[in-house]
Order: sequence, then structure tokens, then C-alpha cells
Amino acid sequence: MTQLVQALALGLLIGGVYALLASGLTLIFGVMHIINVAHGAFLVLVAMLTWWMWRETDIDPIVASVVTTPLMFGFGWVLYRTVIARIRGSSPSMSVLLTFGLALTIEGILNVTAGNIFRSATPAYFEQSFRVAGISLPKPQVYGFLAAVSVLALLYLVLTRTWTGRAIRATSQNPSGAALVGVSATSTAALAFAVGVATTGVGGSIMSVLYPFFPASHYDWISRLLGIIVLGGMGSLPGALVGALILGLAETLTATYGSLRWSTLVFYLVIMAVLLVRSQGLFGTRLREDVTT
Amino acid sequence: MSGKTQGLTGARGPVARDGWRRRLLVAAPLVALTVLPVIRPYDVYLHTVLLLAFLLAIQAVSWNIISGYAGYVSLGHSAFLGLGSYTAGIISVHTGLNPFLIAPLGGVVAVVAALLVGSVVLRTRGHAFVIITIALLLAAQIVAINWSSLTNGSDGITMELPFWSRDFQNVPFYYFFLFLMFMTIAFSAAIRRTKFGTGLVAIREDEGKAAAIGVNTTRYKIVAFCASTFFIGVAGVGYAYFQTFLNPIGAFNILGSVTIVLSALVGGRGTLWGPVVGAFIVQIASEAATVYGGGDQARVLLFGLALAAVVLFLPAGLLPTIQNWWRRRHPETVEYTDQAGALGSGRLEVRVRAREPQATATPPEQRRALLEVRQATKRFGGLVAVNNADLTVQEGTITALIGPNGSGKTTLFNLITGAMRADSGEIWFDGKRIDHLPPWTRGHLGLGRTFQVTRLFKSMTVLQNVVAPLPDARWRTMLSGAVRGHESDRARELLSFVGLSKFVDQPAGSLSYGQQKLVELAQVLMMEPKLILLDEPAGGVNPSLVAKMADIIRGLNEQGISFLVVEHNIPMVLDLCDPVVVFARGAPIAEGPPSIIRNDPVVLEAYLGDEWADPTAQPAGSGRTVAAESAAGSHGQVRR
Repeated sequence: MTQLVQALALGLLIGGVYALLASGLTLIFGVMHIINVAHGAFLVLVAMLTWWMWRETDIDPIVASVVTTPLMFGFGWVLYRTVIARIRGSSPSMSVLLTFGLALTIEGILNVTAGNIFRSATPAYFEQSFRVAGISLPKPQVYGFLAAVSVLALLYLVLTRTWTGRAIRATSQNPSGAALVGVSATSTAALAFAVGVATTGVGGSIMSVLYPFFPASHYDWISRLLGIIVLGGMGSLPGALVGALILGLAETLTATYGSLRWSTLVFYLVIMAVLLVRSQGLFGTRLREDVTT
Repeated sequence: MSGKTQGLTGARGPVARDGWRRRLLVAAPLVALTVLPVIRPYDVYLHTVLLLAFLLAIQAVSWNIISGYAGYVSLGHSAFLGLGSYTAGIISVHTGLNPFLIAPLGGVVAVVAALLVGSVVLRTRGHAFVIITIALLLAAQIVAINWSSLTNGSDGITMELPFWSRDFQNVPFYYFFLFLMFMTIAFSAAIRRTKFGTGLVAIREDEGKAAAIGVNTTRYKIVAFCASTFFIGVAGVGYAYFQTFLNPIGAFNILGSVTIVLSALVGGRGTLWGPVVGAFIVQIASEAATVYGGGDQARVLLFGLALAAVVLFLPAGLLPTIQNWWRRRHPETVEYTDQAGALGSGRLEVRVRAREPQATATPPEQRRALLEVRQATKRFGGLVAVNNADLTVQEGTITALIGPNGSGKTTLFNLITGAMRADSGEIWFDGKRIDHLPPWTRGHLGLGRTFQVTRLFKSMTVLQNVVAPLPDARWRTMLSGAVRGHESDRARELLSFVGLSKFVDQPAGSLSYGQQKLVELAQVLMMEPKLILLDEPAGGVNPSLVAKMADIIRGLNEQGISFLVVEHNIPMVLDLCDPVVVFARGAPIAEGPPSIIRNDPVVLEAYLGDEWADPTAQPAGSGRTVAAESAAGSHGQVRR
């Protein structure tokens, strides 16, 4: 019983972090119908940056996200304006290929500059745990979870309470309608892309503590995160949340009752099972056949 | 007439010369590659570089079937090479059989994997496919690492060395991959020449429209996915044997997928030869990068930059870009529409399957309902677009559906053809309930439609557009030829009927709007329909063509095809159609012959508002009662 509670608690903690990592991906897809395959590479890039800052200045890796987040926001904005915007209007598959190219480029740059070795930021609390009611909660997981949840809450408030957020949501639901009421599609898209990439600032910083990484780990991450948003329904933020929790639970439960080696596979099988029943994912809507175009 | 024939024979000349030139362009390198090991028997390095290029070409050409023709990008296609390799490794280690003997098995395993994954993710439109392919690659790697009893885990499998004398070096592998590459290209070329291939391109261009013309998009995509893996699986067997060693990281490598995608993109995605050309370029460039550039680490960076650069600056790929440049240098003169042909063309023999011969002769009172919509409702959020609507189309009629903009006519069309599902209600066609059938099955039953704004497949030629529709669900029809044979003959016949014979080889996107409407009509006729739904056939078409369109519709109707027409050109509707159904706010408000509908105050009010209808309708007292009765009658009748 304790074992089960332990697995569930840990699964929720991990799921919260996954939710943050996937939120940017699903936001970008929802607004622009771009699958940002480079999202995983951005995360690894930030993790590397955080690790480097932590080593040089001993600043806490999770706190370092106050630096990396605005940095990634700017990076995302510039990237959208200079590169991604060029393929607006071409088929979505082109955006997949372009961002895949970007992911490889980042991996290659990290390979050449930082080398192909595993790294992990290990602050003082790295191996400590909280003990609550007989179960142990690793401190890094707890801190990571708290950071992730507060950023998600902030994101939610931005999307629902600010004009910018409403513009982003309007554009995702009906681009031409949004344009008619004075929301510029290009700036909104740039903004949404930047916000989506900014989540990797926090996400990557948390990642640097929780998971050892090396340049090529982005494949593993992107496939997991894409799995989450396929499971939840592409473009749906609540879907990403639920998908992330399912992945977190699938991982800890397989690790507890089976073997960690199979946990990712179990998650993929869950996705396939869900797609068999609901081909649009848990919270997804079927693409509407547009009447006049 | 003679002018037409002349034009055709005149056009044959350069085409024939082109074909001869093209054949030489293909044959010469093939012969050169075949004799190369004989001329340079000891150049092992050259053989190896080339055989790896063949291997890459096999993969890129295969990938192109699902991701180029059908447009569903796979980023995990190297998984199938790994599956083939592991099939070979496991079987030959356990049984001692020579890998070449079991090569086809590698292909079978790849196809089975593709079938399993494809039938889950390819049932709907959307972007899950690309994601699942990445997951497939990584999942295969996880399985290969962890199922050690079968795969020997991370330690990998060491295979026996080739049985032939060392003097032959890699030459047997060279010919194995050369032969396989040849087979793969021939396979891809064969697919392009069938209706199946045309249908795949149709799916890439406009999947909803493809479904509307009878293309079973789910089946097409799954078959294409399977077809895109077989030769890769076979090649995987040869590759494992060539390396004599395989491990999970090497066999299921995402960089392998990157080179496949890059090859196809560089050469030209969706073309037959593009992936081949691209594969040679990428293989040789990556060889050069390894030799001069600093090894594997730099290769990832180079691949990434190359991929991004190709997408940004050469999205069509080399071959199509060169082709376009050549065409611009050597422009062909395109003749103007064959107006005389279009306006004066003769009567078309309608071909309709399983049609009762007396259909046209049925007197009106014995007519039966061909299409019945019963209490259909469709909501978009809070908006009720179609509200509990009933509609009946009697066999043999040209029924009009008119109503103000936003009254739900096109949504009703979408419900009938299956582009959307109704929230409630039933739809019956020809004695069958169809509201749960996919759009293509409804098409096979004899239901065809055109669109308000034409939706032709713009990159396909006019002929391909008309060949693409499928009248039935048989595999034989799907695999019949699209370039030669009865299907293309019929398409040409239909195109000459609408006066567009001279445009058969033009890209459909280059036609004028009115011409596109005619092509869309020919497309629908290709499906041999019993009922055609026309969404504003006269919208945006010049007046002489409107009259012609009406004649065509009348002519087809005389031969037994029924019509349901949405149209705002009221004179045309009143002249052509009987009965006329008036739609407002998502439901029919009146139905009757045109003479009554034109004076119906309910209709006038719906179109023009209360203020207009009331004062003018008042004096025409008798008209009002008749119309009111007819409106009430129609309601009572349908509700019954």
C-alpha cells in the first residue's frame, strides 16, 4: 500500500513537471499548427545553460530560470520573426521538417561546443528527501513540481486574464476572425511562439536537476512530450496536463511494479490504446471540414 | 473537329521525343552502374560509397510513397531498416540460413509493423502520424535493448561472414542493393501510374475532397504506409549481412531517418526520381563531410543546417525547381478554352451502375424518394446550423435548395455527403441508411457532389483530377491504370464532353474558375452517380456558360441522374428545377413547384425581411393562401 501511494505521489510530482514541459509545445501547436520538434532541443539547450551557470556561479538551478526564461522568450521571438515566419502558409509538414532541422542544428552545436557527455546539475539538496506520512518525496522533484505548477498557473492567468492572452486564444480559435477585430496574426503568432519557447526556460532549468542530459537526449524528450500532447489531444492545454499526469503515473507505476526500462514503452502503448478509441486524443476536437475553403 | 485532332497529333511529336530522351536519361546511368564493378573490380571504396547510396535511395524512394505522394511525413522510417536487420539477425543466428534467402521476410516484418501502427494512427486526418513514427523508432530501440533473450540486448548480434571468396569483396552486396533500388523505383513508378497513386496525391492536396470523390482515404493511407516499408525491410536484411553486426543504437538510429528525409527533400519530394537524385547527393556529401569535415559530431550539425536550409530556400527540391526553370525557358503555348467545344459538345452517354432501366420513364406519381433527410440537426457550439430539417429528393428530379446566406444549405450538403456528422437525425439514400457511413462509401453508393468554391487538386493535371475519383470500393478499381486504359479513356471522354480536351495535361491550378467548375463536374461524373449535389454551379461563371451548365444538367437528368442544386441564380433555378425547396434558419420553410414558390410570401419574407414582404404580399391574396397551403402541406407531408 505504501508502495502504491509512494508511486502515485512520485508520479504526480513528475507529471506536473511534464505538464510544464508539454504546455509550450501544445500552445504553439494550438495557435499556429506548428509541431515544434525543436522543443526538446530547446529544453536540452536551457539545461546545458543552467548547468553551466550553476557550475560557474553556484546559483540554484531552479532559481536560474528567472534568467533563462526571459532569455528563451527573446530567443523564441527572434526565431519566429527570422526563421519560422518564412514558412507561414506552407503545409504543416514543412514546419515539422524545419524545426527538426533546428533541433539537429542545436544538437550539433552542443555536440561540438560542449561535447557528447552526460551532465546533471547537483545542488546541495540533490539527494535529500522530504518524508511525509511514511513516504519519501525527493526534494528536487518537489521543488521542480512547485516551480512547474506556479509557472503553469501564471501561464493560465496570462492566457485568460490579459488582453495578450485573449488575443492568443482568439487567434488559435479563429485566425481570420481575430484579424478582423484588430488582432495582428503575425505578432500574435510571434508572441505565442515566444511564450511557448519561454516555458522551456523554466522547464530546462528544472530538467537540469531532475534528469541527466546530453546533446542527443532531445529525441527522447521530444517523443515523450509529443506523446503527451497526442494523448491529451493536440493543441489542448488541459489535455497536455492530463496526458502529462498519465505519463508520470505510467512511468512510476511501471518502475514500481515492473521495470523502469519498459516505462516509456508502456506509455506508448497507452497512447495507442487511447487513439484506438478516440482518434483525436482525450481532449482533442476533430478537425472541422471547413465549408467554404 | 479536324483542328482538334491536328492539335493532338501535333502535340504527340515533342512528347514522344521527350519520352525517348527521358528513357536514355534513365538507362544510361543504370547501365553504367551495372557494369562499373566489372570495369573497376578492385575499387572497394567506390563500391561501398555507391552501395550505401543505393541503400539510401531505396529508403528515400520508399519514404516518398507515404510522405511524398500522400504527404504524411514520417520521421521514423529508419525503424523499418532496423526491423529488417533484426529479422535477418535473429533468424539467421537461430537457423543458420543465409540472410539473402530470408530477405523478403524482412520486408514482411516491416509491413506488418506498419500495418499495426498505421491502422491505429492513420484513420483520421491530422498530425499524430509524424509523432507516432518518431515514437515507433524509439520504441523499437527500447524493445531491441530490453528484450535481450531475443535480441541479445545492447551487446547486439554478430552474424556469420559472407560465404563468398574475399576476392569478390562487396560486389555481391553492390548488386543486391542495385537490384533492390531498381525494384523500388519500378514499384514507386507503378504506383504513380495507378488510380491508387493519383488518389494518394489527391489526399496530400485536399483530403476532404478526396474522400468526397470516393477515395477511401483510410485504406489508401494504410496501404501507402505499408508499401513504403517493404523494400526498406528487405534492404535491412542485406544491410545487416553487409555489416555482419547489429545493435539497437545503430539499427534504430534517428540520423538514418534524417538522411532519408533530407534525400527526398533535396531531390524533390513527391517526384519519382527526386529521392534517387537526392540520395546520391546526400550520401556523397555526407561521405565528404566525414572525410574532410571532422566526423560524426559535425555531421549532425551539417544535416540540421542542410535540412533547415532546404525547407526554407528549396522547399520543392532540386528536380522540380530545375523542371520549372526549364519550362520557363521553353514555354509551351496553351490554347484558350475550347468554347465551341464546350458549348456545342454532343450528348454524353451516361454510365450508371445498377440502374433500373425504367428510371427515366417513371411517371411522376410513381417516383420514389432517392434521398431522404429526416430530422437532421447540426450544431456548431451554440449555433444551430441545421435545425431538425427534413428533405426529400425524388428520383429523376432536379430539386433546388434555395435560401438566404447562412441558412444551412451547405452544412446540409456536408451532412448528406458525410463531410460532417449530424448531431441527430437520419439520412437515407437509395433505400439505405447512410448517416454513419464514411464519405467515400456514400460516393460508392452513387452520391456525388461539387463544391461552392471549387476544390480541384491544383498540382495535379486536369486528367489526373478526373481519373482520381473511384466509383466503387473494389481493389481492382483502385489498382487500375490512371495513365492508360479504360479509366483514363473515360476521363478523356468526360473532359471532351465539357469541352476541355485540350487541357488534359495542364495543371488544374492554371485553369480559370469557370473551367475548374467544369472539371469538377467531370470529376463527379467519373463516379457514375445516381444523385449529384451541386453547390452553386453557376456562381462566378459567365452567362453563356450558365446556360450551357443548365443544358448539361438537363441532359444528364434526362438520362436518369437526379440533382439537388444549391443556387442563388434564381432565374436559372426557376427555369431548371422542380421542385424547389426553400431553406431558412436551418430548416425548410416551403417546398413546391417554381411557379408557386416565386410568389410565396413566406419565401419572400425569408429572403427580404418582414417590411418588404408584408405590403406586397397583401394584395396578392390568392397567391398567399395557395403558398401558405403549399408550405403547410409540404411540412405535413415530410413530417408524416
